[in-house]
Amino acid sequence: MAVADSLAAVVKAFPQARLVAFADLSARMILSSAGPMVTTQEHLDRLCDQARTSFDDPMFSLSVQAFGEPHAALLLGPANLRLFLRSEEEPADAMCCICDHAIDLAAFVTKIRETLESITHGG
Amino acid sequence: MNKGAVPILARLHSLQAPVRILSGGARVIAEAGSPNPVAQILRAVNETMLARSLEFRSSAGSSLTLDVDGRRVLRLTASHGLPGAEACLGAEVLEDEHKDDLIKLMQALAGPRPEIRVVTGPVSRDGAEVSVGLPVALLADLLLIDLNPVGPDAPDAEAEAVPASEDPPTVRLSGASIEVFAQAIGPSLIAWLIRGGAGDAARAGPEDMVSHLQGFLDEEADAVIRQLDLVSAAPGDPACLLLGVTLIEGHSILCARLEDRLLLGVIEGDGAQAVLTAWRGLLA
Repeated sequence: MAVADSLAAVVKAFPQARLVAFADLSARMILSSAGPMVTTQEHLDRLCDQARTSFDDPMFSLSVQAFGEPHAALLLGPANLRLFLRSEEEPADAMCCICDHAIDLAAFVTKIRETLESITHGG
Repeated sequence: MNKGAVPILARLHSLQAPVRILSGGARVIAEAGSPNPVAQILRAVNETMLARSLEFRSSAGSSLTLDVDGRRVLRLTASHGLPGAEACLGAEVLEDEHKDDLIKLMQALAGPRPEIRVVTGPVSRDGAEVSVGLPVALLADLLLIDLNPVGPDAPDAEAEAVPASEDPPTVRLSGASIEVFAQAIGPSLIAWLIRGGAGDAARAGPEDMVSHLQGFLDEEADAVIRQLDLVSAAPGDPACLLLGVTLIEGHSILCARLEDRLLLGVIEGDGAQAVLTAWRGLLA
């Protein structure tokens, strides 16, 4: 399945997901995205930067000291939530999502993790 | 080709992603034979909020380079292979009198419906002092072009179009304190402390864990605030960052800011949903 189809399937399964994107964090680039949110290239660039910053110090170091390297970040703001998952095998591969606060978080995280690992392993 | 682009292009190809990036960082915005390449040029300008230089290259050999900022065309800085560019090139800032000439240049670039690529770079001059220029919406209106993408690459027309603004000003918080937020999370928040602002410091949980959090904040509070600023729509905005191996099991680190108060804590197990529910409780 092409990555665009994988992302579209997530959006279809979770209507509260406004944007689901696959990124290469090392290249600072969103490679593919899906969802009803109208975005510009600048929005996608900023989302990728937010993912990188979420997995950066000082919070990253605290997490490593406390329980090991984090592969998931949840960012809550007034208007929405952003979920960032990094691949455990290819840490530069990441999913970057923008969702409504009403989303079923556990189910969504599980689905996004499955999708990420599928893409990392060749789609 | 830039060596750094090779693995990215290979990855895009393997992912069957429709993005096309060429040598020199050029991005294809209109394929050869595209029915309305001028629309793609204007949409590329419309995507640009920050000051940038956009060089539009035609596969026929001509090119236009524009300084753009805030969805406005500030000036034409270069033109190759296109007649009639003198008036726009000589203008410090493009004004209403230049709009027809600029449109003709764009139409000449796109005339034979070639492939059109865009290369982004820094603006040729500081545009901060310039508050005018030609709005892309004006150019689009004159050409009867819809700046919202249409066609096979557009978002699902049946889906609700959602503005990309991260935190629109219409969203307000209830005014509840960060202490209320911590209490609302419940037993999943096994150790925490609150500091900053005019309120009293507060803490709860096993002393060894809280002491570790305390020592971390003693050294890193400013850096934590900077990190929250970087992931927020605007510095100082309310924000909550939860960092974990999986978020839905094991432990996670919680850091939240409301006004000038900072909460740092440890979440146990599948407490991410409890954090989200407590955060929703803060929304008015």
